[in-house]
Amino acid sequence: MLRVTTSLSCLFLLSIAACGATLPPPELVDARKAYEHASKGMSAQLAPAQLDTAKQALDKAEKSFEDEGVDPPTPDLAYIAQRKAQIAEAAASKLAAERDAEKANKMFKEAQLEGFDKVKGELNKERQAGEKTKAELENEKKALGVEKVARAEAERKAAAAMASLAEVAKVKEEARGMVITLSGAVLFATGKYDLLPIARDKLDEVAKALIDQGYKSMLVEGHTDSKGKASDNDTLSLKRAEAVRTYLVSRGIPSDKIRASGLGSSRSVADNGSPDGRANNRRVEIVVEPLK
Amino acid sequence: MVRKLASRMLWVGLAAAFAASAAACGGAAVPQETLTAAQASAKGAEVGGANEDPKAQLHLKLANEQIEKAKKLIEDGKNEEAARLVDRAQADADLALALAEQGKALKDAKDADEQLGKLKKKLNQ
Repeated sequence: MLRVTTSLSCLFLLSIAACGATLPPPELVDARKAYEHASKGMSAQLAPAQLDTAKQALDKAEKSFEDEGVDPPTPDLAYIAQRKAQIAEAAASKLAAERDAEKANKMFKEAQLEGFDKVKGELNKERQAGEKTKAELENEKKALGVEKVARAEAERKAAAAMASLAEVAKVKEEARGMVITLSGAVLFATGKYDLLPIARDKLDEVAKALIDQGYKSMLVEGHTDSKGKASDNDTLSLKRAEAVRTYLVSRGIPSDKIRASGLGSSRSVADNGSPDGRANNRRVEIVVEPLK
Repeated sequence: MVRKLASRMLWVGLAAAFAASAAACGGAAVPQETLTAAQASAKGAEVGGANEDPKAQLHLKLANEQIEKAKKLIEDGKNEEAARLVDRAQADADLALALAEQGKALKDAKDADEQLGKLKKKLNQ
């Protein structure tokens, strides 16, 4: 009987001793750490309710540890307290992340709008540039068209002028330019250098054609046949050339662009032995240096 | 005489303490309510995406293991022990859900940030 009592007393004492000297169970150590971690983090601001619940759970575990030591339910309560602290941290982290996401989404929308405006601006710019180019092209086309029309017109005019010239005179292309040959018989009476009325009509045509066609400069050459004195022929040919020049100047050919020279019989184009030949040699040539 | 009395009192006291503890152990009610709640919470955590987050998954696993263990303890009549395990399971299930939600929120924030970064990069081109 005494032995039983003694042994039981021993057990009791042993348990008391175990209690007093006991280190906290690992669960409680973990719970304390977890709570400390949570309370130092964002939880105090973002999850105060959960942090408070964790504190209460930890207090309960601590109280149990005081009262019961490492025995149940201390480890269980500590286990629960640790998780409550972790829940507080997770809740705070979740809230912070939600706020970050919200902020990023807001910025995304703003950037999108900004981008939309930017893209719109760029599109506008591009469109304007496109319109400008289009307008420029239009203008170029127009200018080209005008030029083309003008050139065609000039060519038509020139052709018409040549045609009308051909009606009144012989026209041929030579190395020195376009040579318009007017028969002396049409222009002057024998031995005279006054233009005949019919000559004036012909020269009107020539002047008109030359003005229409354009020219750089021209030279009026007087030629005679070989009858008579050469000096007389030279003088006559010069006077005749001068008469034609004067008339053409009066019809609008600038005087500084037209010269006259008398070549006498030095450049016969036909046989002076026959009347026909001599008739052909009596002539006025207008040598036109064309526009390049 | 005095010694005998003391011895008897000690006996009585010890017997009473033993009886009380026995009653607490064997006599505890089945923690059916808390068990059901813990099971529901574990299910909720699973539905809440606990299996998609490694940390959440670990705590969901702990919760389910403890629930299963508690059920066996109940079968064995160890209701008090079972109740403590059920409480642990509840805490793990709650933590699993909190971690799953945290993980999801962090992922959403990361995605939003990436989208923003991509858009900004695109705009600056």
